[in-house]
Amino acid sequence: MANDAMTSDERVWATIRLERPDRTPVIPTLLPEPAAGLAGVSQAEIANDNSAAVAATFDVFDEYGGWDNIYPSSYLPSQLQVTGVFPMRMKIPGRNLADDIPYQLDEVEVMKIEDYDKIADQGFERFFLDEYLGRLTDLTPDDIEGERRSMFDGGALFLAECAKRDIKPFFLANCLHPFFKLSLMRSMVPFTQDLFYEPETVLRALRRMTDDLIPRVVEMAEGVGIPISMLTEERASGFFYSPKIFERFWWPYTVEIVEACWSEDIVSLFHLDTSFDKNMKYFRQLPRGAAILELDGTTDIFAAKEVLRGHLCLKGDVPAALLATGTPEEVESYCRRLISEVGGDGGFILGTGCSVPPNARPENFRAMIETGKQLR
Amino acid sequence: MSQDLRTAIVELNRDAVPTLVARRLEAGDDPLEILGDCRAAMTMVGERFQEGEYFLAELLISAELFKEAAALLDPHLGDSDNDKRAGVIVLATMRGDIHDLGKNVFATLLRAHAFEVHDLGVNVEPAHLVDEVQETKPDFVGFSSLITTSFDSTRQAIEMLEDKGLRAGLKLMLGGGVTTPGLAKHLRVDFQTLDASSGVAYCLEEAAGAGA
Repeated sequence: MANDAMTSDERVWATIRLERPDRTPVIPTLLPEPAAGLAGVSQAEIANDNSAAVAATFDVFDEYGGWDNIYPSSYLPSQLQVTGVFPMRMKIPGRNLADDIPYQLDEVEVMKIEDYDKIADQGFERFFLDEYLGRLTDLTPDDIEGERRSMFDGGALFLAECAKRDIKPFFLANCLHPFFKLSLMRSMVPFTQDLFYEPETVLRALRRMTDDLIPRVVEMAEGVGIPISMLTEERASGFFYSPKIFERFWWPYTVEIVEACWSEDIVSLFHLDTSFDKNMKYFRQLPRGAAILELDGTTDIFAAKEVLRGHLCLKGDVPAALLATGTPEEVESYCRRLISEVGGDGGFILGTGCSVPPNARPENFRAMIETGKQLR
Repeated sequence: MSQDLRTAIVELNRDAVPTLVARRLEAGDDPLEILGDCRAAMTMVGERFQEGEYFLAELLISAELFKEAAALLDPHLGDSDNDKRAGVIVLATMRGDIHDLGKNVFATLLRAHAFEVHDLGVNVEPAHLVDEVQETKPDFVGFSSLITTSFDSTRQAIEMLEDKGLRAGLKLMLGGGVTTPGLAKHLRVDFQTLDASSGVAYCLEEAAGAGA
């Protein structure tokens, strides 16, 4: 924008460092699925072709006038599966789901109770590759290698498109919190039973996964040259679990990961789904500026700001339901409130609650982007 | 022994629950009375949840314990439990969404409170839901939603219920992580929640009101 006094990157980093930017940065979580919706491309197409996923993303980026940093969006669901990002069975449009429905994770108990010990003994990667992946997919080793190659090729294409527009990905290093990963693999109910009835077994696996994760995350973030690492957690909040569970199974490992990253100048970007209202106070224990909390619209972001003001950057949280069914006036009004109340003194990035929904109304998405970019 | 079983469920004692149920059956206790104790325990779990002492985790675990107890009792109940149902509900995750975790918990909690539950599963077509409503004549229809892509089919189902004159007297409910009060207004449903326990409380309240 003509009146911008900072570049996008300066604005984003000033905000993360809790300095006052020239305006609130705008970074919607535009993944391939909503990009397809807004670009008028079928879900089947972007779920089965990396270049289509990248093309849809940048079509939307260009059509809506761009924003400050962009989410990585060159992957296919099957690639998230074979690389262990989402270690679950999946329904994929164009394969085992209708062409117009976005891919979805199929929650079934794939990991068994005895697998915790295997993870603790062998490490997650070995267990995943040698044993677990075969329970998820019937792809051959050559197929899997092909998926990995395509993902890297898609990543290169994505970065080339970023370079053409002189914009940066918000992050490239990306992992699930070990707690969340185990919950997905075991599925919610058995995992919860394990927390209550087999706590030491779970803790041993969490210990090993955390120990293995830290050097990988640091290496990834340093390797790609963007010192932000996303850490996704959708199931540890006070919506699901008591503080006792949170303090025993989640928080200590989280602190270790964040502090290890921070010691290498890497900021942890938490993607937090479900209400963390009861957990916000814990995040004050993290080093100032060491993390960004991306909230999904179910955590009270206004209350979170009061807890974390001047300590950690928040990002969010235009609700998916509002983008899918609201009006542009409602979206604008909510964005104005966010920027005024959460972003007033910095430390806030305007984003979406979880991701932009695949059926976001174009006029609502435009209202969000333009409101964010226009307000000072 | 009645109190022991209730306590075992409320305290989430996984080993004790099946043992106590089996022991009471062997002792010749009325299966319906045993089931009533299990339901009373689930009510106590719900109260602890409402008071903030318990979380969704405890609801999930107690629901599993209840299911296990109910499965042991089921062969002994015959049709004797049917007369005491609190109400009838049809549940579905509509087309565009295959998530069912919250819906399944809700269904179990409803059964624990003596509701007759017709769970249609996931990715449900609007016409299928309407057929089920016509056939079972429920008091409630519950739509579960974790992602926004089911909104359109939910709206279609509601419009079809209205067009066929099935909406009157029917309470429509909406639950799941992506739902909001604004969405409830948009879809013209009667109740929206993020947590299953509140949904059960709503059904009990409405059922009590209807019966009064």
